[in-house]
Formats: sequence, structure tokens, C-alpha cells
Amino acid sequence: MSDQNMKIKLRVWRQKGPTYPGKLETYELDNVNEHMSFLEMIDVLNEKLVQEGGEPVAFDHDCREGICGMCSMTIDGNPHGPNKGTTACQLHMRNYKDGDTITVEPFRATAFPVIKDIMVDRSAFDRIQQVGGFISVSTGNAPDAHAVPVSKEKADLAFDAATCIGCGACVAACKNASAMLFVAAKVSQYELLPQGQPEKEDRVLNMVAKMDEEGFGSCSNTGACSASCPKEISLENIARMNRAYSRASFKKR
Amino acid sequence: MSTKLDSKIPSGSIETLWQKHKFDMKLVAPNNKRKHTVIVVGTGLAGAAGAASMAELGYHVKSFCIQDSPRRAHSIAAQGGINAAKNYQNDGDSVYRLFYDTVKGGDFRAREANVYRLAELSVNIIDQAVAQGVPFAREYGGYLDNRSFGGAQVKRTFYARGQTGQQLLLGAYSALMRQVGKKTVELFNRREMLDVVVHDGKARGIIVRNLLTGELETHIADAVCLATGGYGNVFYLSTNAMASNVTAAWRAYRKGAFFANPCYTQIHPTCIPVSGDYQSKLTLMSESLRNDGRVWVPKNKGDKRPPSEIPEEDRDYYLERRYPSFGNLVPRDVASRAAKKACDDGFGVGATGLSVYLDFKNAIERDGEEAISARYGNLFHMYEKIAGESPYKSPMRIYPAVHYTMGGLWVDYHLMTTVPGLFALGEANFSDHGANRLGASALMQGLADGYFVIPSTIGNYLANHSFDKMTEDHDAFRDSKEQCYKRTTQLLKMKGSKTVDDFHRRLGHIMWDNVGMARNKEGLTSAITDIKSLREEFWSDARVVGEADQVNNELEKAGRVADFLELGELMARDALERNESCGGHFREEYQTEEGEALRDDTKFSHAAAWEFKGDSAPPERHKEELKFDHVKLAQRSYK
Amino acid sequence: MSRLVTYLFSSVGQKKLMALSGLGWGLFALSHMAGNLLVFVGSETYNKYGHAIVSNPAIYVAEAGLVLLLLTHVFYGIRVSIQASKARSQGYVVKKSGDKEATLSSRTMKYTGIAVLGFIILHLWSFKYGAYYEVSYDGVVVRDLFRLMLEKFESPIYTWGYVAAVILIGFHLSHGVYSALQSLGINHPRYTPIIEKISVLYGILIAVGFASQPIYVHFVF
Repeated sequence: MSDQNMKIKLRVWRQKGPTYPGKLETYELDNVNEHMSFLEMIDVLNEKLVQEGGEPVAFDHDCREGICGMCSMTIDGNPHGPNKGTTACQLHMRNYKDGDTITVEPFRATAFPVIKDIMVDRSAFDRIQQVGGFISVSTGNAPDAHAVPVSKEKADLAFDAATCIGCGACVAACKNASAMLFVAAKVSQYELLPQGQPEKEDRVLNMVAKMDEEGFGSCSNTGACSASCPKEISLENIARMNRAYSRASFKKR
Repeated sequence: MSTKLDSKIPSGSIETLWQKHKFDMKLVAPNNKRKHTVIVVGTGLAGAAGAASMAELGYHVKSFCIQDSPRRAHSIAAQGGINAAKNYQNDGDSVYRLFYDTVKGGDFRAREANVYRLAELSVNIIDQAVAQGVPFAREYGGYLDNRSFGGAQVKRTFYARGQTGQQLLLGAYSALMRQVGKKTVELFNRREMLDVVVHDGKARGIIVRNLLTGELETHIADAVCLATGGYGNVFYLSTNAMASNVTAAWRAYRKGAFFANPCYTQIHPTCIPVSGDYQSKLTLMSESLRNDGRVWVPKNKGDKRPPSEIPEEDRDYYLERRYPSFGNLVPRDVASRAAKKACDDGFGVGATGLSVYLDFKNAIERDGEEAISARYGNLFHMYEKIAGESPYKSPMRIYPAVHYTMGGLWVDYHLMTTVPGLFALGEANFSDHGANRLGASALMQGLADGYFVIPSTIGNYLANHSFDKMTEDHDAFRDSKEQCYKRTTQLLKMKGSKTVDDFHRRLGHIMWDNVGMARNKEGLTSAITDIKSLREEFWSDARVVGEADQVNNELEKAGRVADFLELGELMARDALERNESCGGHFREEYQTEEGEALRDDTKFSHAAAWEFKGDSAPPERHKEELKFDHVKLAQRSYK
Repeated sequence: MSRLVTYLFSSVGQKKLMALSGLGWGLFALSHMAGNLLVFVGSETYNKYGHAIVSNPAIYVAEAGLVLLLLTHVFYGIRVSIQASKARSQGYVVKKSGDKEATLSSRTMKYTGIAVLGFIILHLWSFKYGAYYEVSYDGVVVRDLFRLMLEKFESPIYTWGYVAAVILIGFHLSHGVYSALQSLGINHPRYTPIIEKISVLYGILIAVGFASQPIYVHFVF
């Protein structure tokens, strides 16, 4: 546990508000400990900025354990930084070396407008969820949990899809800014479970329509989404949604 | 004084209490429900479940969350599982046993009627979650799998790998989103509640700050539910999310809601140890790890050999040694104190000497790496990312950290605080866990409150009261808004020399050292003085930059820290007054010869509820006596 | 009807159409390439094969079909690009790199696609609508495409240009085949890794197959 201190040059996107132009500002930090998380480094920068009378960098973060999906930053072009299966809050400075320059930008997508600095508005995801990302079972309607067995394989696949943290890295990574992986993960989770069957057609039709309406781009199967996904959600889910969407489009009365 | 605290526990046999009471409570007719607006602050398990369920019933619900989306609430981070008395394992579980274990695990400081209801509802939660598409772990036959958890000798914990909280929260979130889509719930994201508005003795609305525009907004309702979580961040370092705070509950306290048992803090035994001053939060490693991991320290003080070089005979598996029947699965408070003791006695490992080993070597040898990875893969992955070492190769290093707060707003059987119309759900209230919460019970309580309790009890309140027509320019709202405005302005005006984080860190040190895992009279007394002076310093020397009318993270933090600076003092007071050790509250003066917590049931078999008496007067302590008709009071033993 | 329109203009429907039209051209490329390989047999077989194809009345249907597929593919290709630029009105300063970067072929579909389209037009202009020579076999007059080809591939510029173009086609297909199957919903943990390899091999096959003709002709004749 030797504590290595590094000098890091940070270039951070600063933007006063949604309608203001933004630009990269450069900051230098002298005492970056290798055990720090990336966000803790920004905390240190912010404390320094406050002390110096500057304005701290606004950024979204909350649980800092890689599960809430709140942190959203593009680090040297990569959503959540260089490591696979990792959110920015779980990225540690031991991945960098003394003297590195790191560029931090917001997640870029028209459907995720910048609020301030590297904070973006991802409420489009909530709106997609509202048109079908659920099973219509009001409290009290449920039968006994063992009424319907679910094969372990299906349950595990549904779980894998359901691990999506809704961070938006898929959109940020995609060259088309497509939200296909996010939507497909939700569609897949319910598609795979018996409980999701009754509404499956409306669900996929409505969620895809909403996704398109929100202004996300199209999918060209580059796979950048899955590569950047902190939960490494598989492209298999997109294929499943592609099938489900066609089936629903032609089958539904 | 206890007349003030009417727990409204219905009379009758505990087994049928809730069912009978549901019949006795008044109902609101379906066509009248939509005329009632209910505010729900917070969108964690309790908040999202409550908001969705009440909207399903027909109420007009306004739901508020501090993050950009309701899905981010910190319930999402719960790892291990959720208890339910399904007895699917045929291992002798029952509602009564879950009830019994929970009361005992809470060190006999919880209300029996509430706990029984919780155990009873636990089975419905699993049904509801499965119906919502929550992908719990299953056996090959397609039926649900269970694991065991601390403080229980049956396997009753349902789980979804190490992400049970996430899956349950997303289930509740999906139910909430469905209602938002139906326009029965109005969703307000990025809002922070700054005040409860009380009119005619009843909670009638809230003031929130829009975190994007800074605007103070007024929201009117017939009832207000706070599901705003716990206050563990008073310690600065905790496993809570960065935005978790006490402000909503604290503002309610200042408006007349009693705050109960603030000193009951759960220190979780298995967290990743602190590595430096810059550290912003601690990360929990699920307690489920103790199913397969063995906790040990070297037998020799200051043994600096790497763990792989320490032979079996030089290792002290102290939990197995001290508690042979529960072994590594003793309740959290016991495991935490044992770790602290091992480190205080000089056996700790790691650079700081403040950690113990959690070793999977035997489990991996027994079940194979694949099986262990299937159970804990994501946790191992997370540990490796943070600590830079693989738990498959060398043991994890863990240390206790603040995790959950059993204390909270005092509520009656209906989950209503001492302010009529103001309810508190989930971790925000004090009700079901007594002095210590068992693992996998937080999810259970949040969802029971949200899905099943509040939808029933809110109707009873609304049906029994009449409500004046209120508008935003009513004096009560105007005054409240004015107060919030003044406070914000005051925070921005100081332009002191120290950052808000600096104050928060200092408060955290005072709390951890004096109101942490082990407390004593002297430490608590000095903590009260220290916190007071820190608070004064804060209000003269804090530096809050930025403007009020835009995104301002510093201002948000300042408001929260200001409230923590008041809460910390109350916690110390509460701990000082409670001259016994119980569960998460361990007073060094009150322990058995073997170092176990020593309760004083004659003097302290009560919940302490504090009433705010103004900034210049000390708060008043009220008692709610606890009766134990079913669970026999006994010294907890896990030996 | 409106369901169909919705489908055709939805992000998922459009990639299905993109996939089907792409697969159509991918298969056409294979058959075209197979025909080209007759160059190794001799001029007569080569020309007779060409004649057999153009003299079959089904050729008009096939050509119309190919044009339709091409237009579909181009239309949706343009649409995807326009949507992409709208969906990210402000780009990144620093580009992705390392483990999170997608394959080069998948990232460059737009550019290889444009190049391939240009090549197809040029190719039609030089061959289909190029100089018309005739040759007679057993009294049947057929077009002497072999001669035209010999003339064209005499030029090193044309030869290497052609080779470069077919390599781009192969590159386009190496992502295209996999991508089309994924769009059509074919993805399975057991088969997808194989499909990905087949896709690359298919691209190489097409590129090598097409390139063999100009290289052979350029150096041998």
C-alpha cells in the first residue's frame, strides 16, 4: 500500500448553463493519490477551486459504488473512462501515471442536453420507461411467488439485462447516440420472464417509438455501447428487441 | 409526558392485529380519492413503492426526488437480499420466527406490533416483486433460491446476485413510472425538500428547492410522506450515497415531529477500509459474504507477514472462537464490535492496522472458484476495483463502517409522526428495527411501509379529517418559503474561509470518535460541546460559493451539513441519556464481563423521542414504553 | 398500413431494411464474383456466361430488384447518418480509444459505403455501359466483355483502383454480414462469435475473389 502521489493535468468541460457555449479549461493537481477514485480527484479539484474563489465543477454523482448510474462523464473520449465494466466513480487513479493529461467531457447526445459543466439531463430515459418499462401489476394483485416457475437460465438472462443502471454510457459511446442498448435491456428483462408476456407487444412498440421521438440516433451494430456499459450488457438484448419489435409490429391486431 | 406519544397500536391478538385493523380503519371512497393530493418525498424503496401504490388506489400523488431520476435512490445499493417468511426451504421458518428474530436482533428495542406486521407483510413483498418482474435468483427447478443471513438460523433471504436492492428498487421504480405515465403521479426530480408546511396543526405541504433553477417551489397536499432515508452521512464517511441527508427529516423535527432514538446507528462489519483523507465515502461488501468468508486476524500482535504466509495455527478466527453457534454469521453490531476490539487490541492488519481479513480460501477449496464467483462475482469484482487486490487470491481486508440508522422520525402504528398528516416511511422512521437492524431487513421494511402499510393508513387519516382549501399565498406557505429563502441567503452571504466539506469532515471525526461504535459519558459530553462550537464556526466561517438561482452543489451541501451539525448534537445527547448498551448503541460503561452489550430493561425499555424546543432551549426527551408480550426479554446470545 | 409505415421509419424497422438490402447485395456480390472467376477458365466461357445472364428475360426483374435494394440501402444509410448527426449535435473533443473503441470496419461503414456506391456507378459506366465489342461463338453473336476487361485492366491505375475498391467492399461486408444478422435478431452466445468470424471471412473472400481477376489479367495478359 505505498501511496504514490501524482501530478495530473485535467482538462474539464466548463459550461455555465444549457444555453451557454462551453469550453475546456485546464487545471493542474499536484497531489493525486493513486488510491483515489476519479470522482474523489474532482472533489479535490473542487475544494481547491472553492478555496481559490473559483466556481467548482458541477457533476452528477451519488452512490459512488457503481450502481446508482448517476455519474456520467466522458474521460478521454471514453464514457466512464478507459476500464471496461467500470463507472467513473469506480475508476481509480492507479490507472494513471504521473504527468498524465486527462480530458473530461459530458456525455454527449442531443437527447441528453448539458445542464452545467459535465452534468447532463437524462430524463429521456425516465420518459421511455414510462411508456412501457413495467409490468402492469398493481400492489396486491400478485399471486404467490412460486405460482409460476421460471427457468434458471431465463431468470439469469433477465437478471443480466436488468442490471442496467440507466447511466446513459451506451448513448454517450455510440457514434449514432443511439439508446438501443438501454431500451433493449429493459425490453429483454420482461420479454424473458413469463410475467412480462401479456404486455410484451405494446411494450416494445411503445418504448421504441418513444426512444425515436426523444431524438436518439439509430443503431448500426458497432457494439460501442456494450463495450462502454459499466454492467457489460450484451448486444444479444438488442437482437432480442429487434425480433420482438418485428413480431409485435406485424402480429399485434 | 408520555401521553403525547400514542403509538395507536390496536388491541387484540398480535397475529390478527393488522388484518383486523385494516377493517377498522376508515376508507376513502374511490371517487373521492382523486380529490386528495399526497406528497411523497423520496423515491427509494419506501417512497417509490408508496407513491406508486397510493396512485394505483386513485390518490393524486406528487413524488419528489433529489437526483435526476427516481431510479437513483440509494436503496439501489443494497446488495445482499430481502428477508421473507415464506418457508420455501422447509427449514422451520414462519412469520412468527421472523418476527421473533427481528425483535431479538433489534435487541428488544422495537415495537412488537410493528415488527409482527412487518414479518407478516414480508411474504406479500416477494409475491409483488416477482409479479413485477424482479429477477430473483432461482434454483434449476425454476423456484426461488434463498441464502442465510446474519442473526438467523434459517434460510429466508431472497436475493438477486449481489444487487438485490437494485432489482427491488427498479421494480418499485417501474411501478412508479407506470403511474407517472398514467399521469396519476406527478414527478418532480432534482428537488430538495427544505421545509414541511404545517397549517391548522396538520402537515399541508412542502417547500422544495429546484436544484436546477434554484427556485423555491411550494407544493400543497392533504398529507405528506417522508421517505427520505437515513442520516448516516452525519459521520461524513459512511456507505450512504453522497446526497443522502437528514434535511427533510430534520426540517420535520423542527416543525414538531419527534425524532426517535437518534443514537441507534448501525455500523456494518464488512466494508472496504479507509485508505486516505481524500476519501469521500465507504463501500460496503455485502454481509452475505460472511456465509462463505471466514473472518480472522493474526494471533500475534503486529504480524506483518502477508496473509498467505500466515499458517493456520497463527490465525485467530475470532468470531468462530467467540460465537461457536453463529460463527461468522453473528448480527452486525456484534461482528463490528468484535472487529473493532481486534484492531484496538493491536491485531489489526493493513497499513493502518484498521482492518481484519475476510478469507474465502476454504470456500474456494470446498466449492470451487466458479461457485464462489456465481455467488459473489460482482462483489469480488467491486472489491478488486477499489482495493486493487483480487479476493480470489488473497483475503479481503474489511473494517466496519456506518451503514444504516435505526433511529428516525417517531411514528405510530400508522407510520404517522407527531405532526398529523406527516408520515415517515422506510429508514426515515424509527419503527421496526429497534436498536439494531438484521441484514436483509431494510429492503423488507421499506417495501412493507410503501406497498402495504401507507396505502392503508393514509386513507384512514384522510377520511377522518377535513382540509381547508390552501393556496400558495397562504401565510403558512409564505412564511415557510421566506424562512427557506433567508437561510439560503445566509449561507451564501458568509463568505468564510473553510469549505463545507471541511466542516463535514470535522463533524464526521467527532461523531466517529465519540458517537461511533463505542461510546462513553466523557466522549459524548465533549462531543456535544465540540459539535456546538463547530456549528457556531460553520455559521460564521463557512465558505459557500456560487449563486442561489442556478445549479449550486456547494449550496446544497451547505444546507445539509448545517442540519447534520444540529443532528449530531442530538445523537450525542440521546446516546448520553441512554445509560445502557443495546444493539447499535454500545456504551463502554455498560458491558458484560465478556465485553457484550448490557441492556438495562428496567430503565430503558423504551423508545426515546426528542421534541424540538427552539434553537435556544434543549430538546425534550419523551418516552414510549415498549411492552414485550410475545418475545421474552433476554440477554442476546449468539454463542 | 400506418403500422407498416411506422415500422419502416422506426429505428428498429429501418435497420431490418438496411440489413435485408445489404444482405441482398452481399449475396449478389458473391454470385458476381463467382462469375468473374470464369476469367480463369477462358474468354469463351466468360463471354457466354455474360450472355446467358443478359439474354435471360429475368434479368430485368433482377436488375430492378438490385436497384431497389441499393436505393433502399442508400436511403437508409443517409437517414442513419442524418439521424446520427442530429442525435449528437455537439461532438467530443477527444475520441474514444482502447478497449471501448468499436472495430474500424463498423465505425467506417458510412465511408466505405459511400466509396462502394461510387465504385458501383463507375463500374456500371465502364462495363455495363462501356464500349460494346462483339464476338461470335458458333454463329451466336455475344458481347465481348472479355476484351473490354482486358483493355480496362491494362491500365495499372484502373487495376489497382479496382483492387482498392473491392477491398473496401470486403471491408464493408466484414462488418455488414454480422451486422445484418444482428439487426435481423440473430444473436446467440454460442453462434455469434462464429458469425463474426464468418462475416470477416466473407469479406475477405469477396475481396480476394474480385481482386484476383484484375491482378491475373493485368499480369498475365
